[in-house]
Amino acid sequence: MSRIYKFLDDRLNLSPLLKEIADHQVPDHANPLKTPTALIYCFGGICLFILLLQILTGVFLMLYYVPSPDNAYAGVNYIQNELAFGGLVRGIHRVGASAAVVMVFLHMMRVVLTGSYKNPRELNWIVGIVLLLTVMGFCFTGYLLPWDQKAYWATTVGVNMVESIPLVGNFLAAALRGGSEVGMLTLVRFYVVHVMFLPALLVIFLAAHFFMVRRQGISRPL
Amino acid sequence: MMNRDAPSATQAGNPGSFYPNHLFVESLAALAVFAATVLAAYVWQVPLEEMADPGDTTYVPRPEWYFLFYFQLLKYFEGPLVVVGTFFLPLLTLTLLILLPFLDTSPTTDIRKRPCAAALSLAGVVAVVALTALSVVEDESHVDKIVLPPITEEQITAGREIFNKFCMLCHAIDGKGGFMAPDLTQIGSRANRAYIERVIINPQIVSQTTIMSVIPLSDAERHEVSAFLSRKK
Repeated sequence: MSRIYKFLDDRLNLSPLLKEIADHQVPDHANPLKTPTALIYCFGGICLFILLLQILTGVFLMLYYVPSPDNAYAGVNYIQNELAFGGLVRGIHRVGASAAVVMVFLHMMRVVLTGSYKNPRELNWIVGIVLLLTVMGFCFTGYLLPWDQKAYWATTVGVNMVESIPLVGNFLAAALRGGSEVGMLTLVRFYVVHVMFLPALLVIFLAAHFFMVRRQGISRPL
Repeated sequence: MMNRDAPSATQAGNPGSFYPNHLFVESLAALAVFAATVLAAYVWQVPLEEMADPGDTTYVPRPEWYFLFYFQLLKYFEGPLVVVGTFFLPLLTLTLLILLPFLDTSPTTDIRKRPCAAALSLAGVVAVVALTALSVVEDESHVDKIVLPPITEEQITAGREIFNKFCMLCHAIDGKGGFMAPDLTQIGSRANRAYIERVIINPQIVSQTTIMSVIPLSDAERHEVSAFLSRKK
């Protein structure tokens, strides 16, 4: 192990990079080993973990999923009822979505409680809000994909809400649906948004989030 | 403010190091969440309903639980006020969230010395929790709107007779009866009594394409059948 590391380090000069990422002190007030209540500082890390879990289970679900009205339901039905461990993987993805919402909410509560959004971390707070919206976007677009009754009608209701926005509502709703009704085009764009656009957004803003945490350090009580 | 950390923190016996000590704790916490997630996924069979039917406008969708509070909130805005719920309130909330660090500029981070931020965020959390609870309660009362008399032994006996006369032509139960419709031997463990009543009143709530016909039963007879079936576990 160390010889492989040395081989790579000699050629790629990894040490400074790893040092930057992992070699730093966690202040006592955020260290559960010193302050048990500091477990609340773990919420952010748990959010990251769940998002990784969602990506992993999501990629496996994609192997059997075809985004068209004729095939989507059949694919999910196959995953759920016939594929080995399919029901479990889909279950984890579905429950994981709930877990992500819960943990993001708790993480936000922690940041509010400890006033961590204050100067100089305003930007990271805003990036966090973008991440919150991204997670909600995942939830909304993912809900349509099984193409069962609940999926279809919940999405219809959701898009109708968008339609009620003044001035741009009609345009936005039509853009979401790809037409005047929830149908094949809606399914395809929700799918693409769910597996391409939002993951890209997630990665970019997560990177910014972590970069700023490392740059600014964990907030201290003032 | 900028605490660029001391180098060479990665020493064994340094409980403050990010790697490996803190990462270990963080991993344990994540593992606990992972275990809970897998357990929940295993215990709770994630639902997959009937395939989407764009023609079935009678379906009443429910959002996922974390959107229930918003669904409930929207119930209070009707007619021309709908846009307040669907647009202006979310916009206001989002604006407030983004502006939070620029509004709460006092130098302290102690929550007890930030009454405004504390009150506002607490109000938000309480509102979300209360609206979610309200939505769940209203849903429950809606589902069980049909008033059912308590189950008696006579009802169950009478229900069995009615079932034998009408339902068994298509439905099987305890190994006897027709094969045109689902076996109802354990229906009581899958459906509650109110749901059975509603299916008898309107079979199409199960599926748009069901061939089940509306059986002409009086209210009392229907209660007897549902009493009988809900005990078949």
